[in-house]
Amino acid sequence: MTDVLRLEGVTRRHGEGTASFRVEVGRLAVAAGECVALTGPSGSGKSTLLDLLGLIGAPESAERFTLTTAGESLDVAGLWARRDRDALADARGSGIGYVLQTGGLLPFLTVRENIALSCRLNRQGSARRVATLARVLGVERLLDRKPRDLSIGERQRVAIARALAHGPSLILADEPTASLDPANAERVMALLLEVTRHMKVAAVVASHDWDLLARHRVRRVTADLSAAQDGAVVARFNG
Amino acid sequence: MNRWLPALHFAWKDFLHEWRISACLVLALAAVLTPLLVLFGLKSGIVTTLTERLKADPANLEIVVLGNGRLETPWFQTLSADPLVRFAAPRTRSLAATIDLLADADNGRRVLPAVEMLPTGPGDPLLDNRPVPADAAQAVLSAAAARKLGVGPGGRLTAVVPRSSGERREAASVSLTVLDVLPDSTLVREAVLVPLPLLVAAEDFRDGFAVPDLGWPGERPAPPRTLFASVRLYAAGIDAVAPLAAALTARGLEVRTRAAEIEQVRAIDRVLSFLFAIIAGIGATGLVLSLAASLWANVDRKQKDLALLRLVGFTTAPLVAFPAAQAALTALFGCALSGAAYAAVAAALNRVLAENPTRDEVVCRLTPEAAGAAVLLTLLFALLASSLGGIRASRIEPSQCLRDV
Repeated sequence: MTDVLRLEGVTRRHGEGTASFRVEVGRLAVAAGECVALTGPSGSGKSTLLDLLGLIGAPESAERFTLTTAGESLDVAGLWARRDRDALADARGSGIGYVLQTGGLLPFLTVRENIALSCRLNRQGSARRVATLARVLGVERLLDRKPRDLSIGERQRVAIARALAHGPSLILADEPTASLDPANAERVMALLLEVTRHMKVAAVVASHDWDLLARHRVRRVTADLSAAQDGAVVARFNG
Repeated sequence: MNRWLPALHFAWKDFLHEWRISACLVLALAAVLTPLLVLFGLKSGIVTTLTERLKADPANLEIVVLGNGRLETPWFQTLSADPLVRFAAPRTRSLAATIDLLADADNGRRVLPAVEMLPTGPGDPLLDNRPVPADAAQAVLSAAAARKLGVGPGGRLTAVVPRSSGERREAASVSLTVLDVLPDSTLVREAVLVPLPLLVAAEDFRDGFAVPDLGWPGERPAPPRTLFASVRLYAAGIDAVAPLAAALTARGLEVRTRAAEIEQVRAIDRVLSFLFAIIAGIGATGLVLSLAASLWANVDRKQKDLALLRLVGFTTAPLVAFPAAQAALTALFGCALSGAAYAAVAAALNRVLAENPTRDEVVCRLTPEAAGAAVLLTLLFALLASSLGGIRASRIEPSQCLRDV
């Protein structure tokens, strides 16, 4: 199976001096349909790594950083080096889906329009995808409501549908169940993993709740924390 | 990828979704704009009305030459060609420019001695749309003269010019048809408007010459005319009065104009314009500040939404277009609302305050140009103000959306 994400020798710095934080990825590869969980306590660099993977945060250095989307291998390290923000925005818009801790929905659009958001920006037809995802995620009867009329669990399920509707190669989820009660968290996480596997989408989920992820037999990548000579915290990821 | 259309569409959707806040912004804008429109309407209405009144009375355009001078015929030709001049006619000596008028009425003969003769011709401002006397047998009377003589349009008069040389007294006469009678509002004193040749004939006859054209006796006809004592002069507009008067003064003529009245209207215009500029300046500053503050706060509230749009692939320009489009919507709705409010207020003011509705006078008026300028300026100010919010929007990082900031 092809790797959607492939990183070798990529670093990202966050902050300055002794308060600074460095993420070093020795090697990380995520295949299509595979789910990788980033676990560890808060402050262990999960979010910084997710920014890097989500083409939001610039790497400090990168030997190799590619994102393969729609059969095309994109040299992310090169795009950052050229500061080609529009190409990065395009890659984000078409190749990646994001599920956020909360929100992630536009309050002025209906559920249907929210799910179709990325399709619309990519000029893709959306009606069938929206219908299928809404059925799978159990939000069919909510399609014409606005996000404010939904419960938090329902909003997270809509957010998952929104992140997947345009058929991205990679889905990134940052603590997607943190604001849910355990029963809802279980259900939302199960749906997320099931749908991404079924759709052959590579998934990277950051979560502090390892027990929940362990029940779904997810590959685990944990930060190896150490202190550098200049006092900065270094988080190494390999997997 | 083209995100402009979605950005504008989303701006509109959000404007509707948050209709309460949008309505507050629109109302706040209209609350500042409406008084400015009414104030400007009043200023331009009052000044226009006063200017129209000045223009409507030809006396305000007249430059009266006092005393007698020596004005050559070529000078009159130059004067008539001057764009500052609306009407110029040579005048004879003021003492010679009188005539005795006799009218035969049912109850006997009426005599009006030494009536002032005014030289007239095509373009005479006093004869606006009235028949112009074409030869020495036609005349137009002022209302005062017509009342005393008891004649109206179509009536017949006998005009008599007396002269005396030593012991001998003679009189020459000509028969006149009254073409029209001028109302008191146009000419209040007793006067008769006749073509220049009759004035010249009367002056020549008084100077002892014969006037063969009218059959008036004398030893010999007058030599051809090259000099006139004075001029009857009207400026082309209110603004032309002062420079014309100055030119005549430079020629050594003593002149009198209604400069004081004209200057008064100018002063009112200046003062009102100045006051308006101050109030409009304060109002516009308030408008810009309030718009900037609310649009800035708007971007603040929508930070997460804008970050999400960034995250799903919006580049900077369409992202900045989002608050800009909402500012434009606010400006347009605000303009429409204050336009409606202005129309209502202006109609009420015009009904209550108009002194003379028959003369088409309005107290409060806004030309289409001024209204268009108001809309464009408001739009410009709104876009300027929103660009503050836009700069903020452009700095929003997509990662701000991933975290619960």
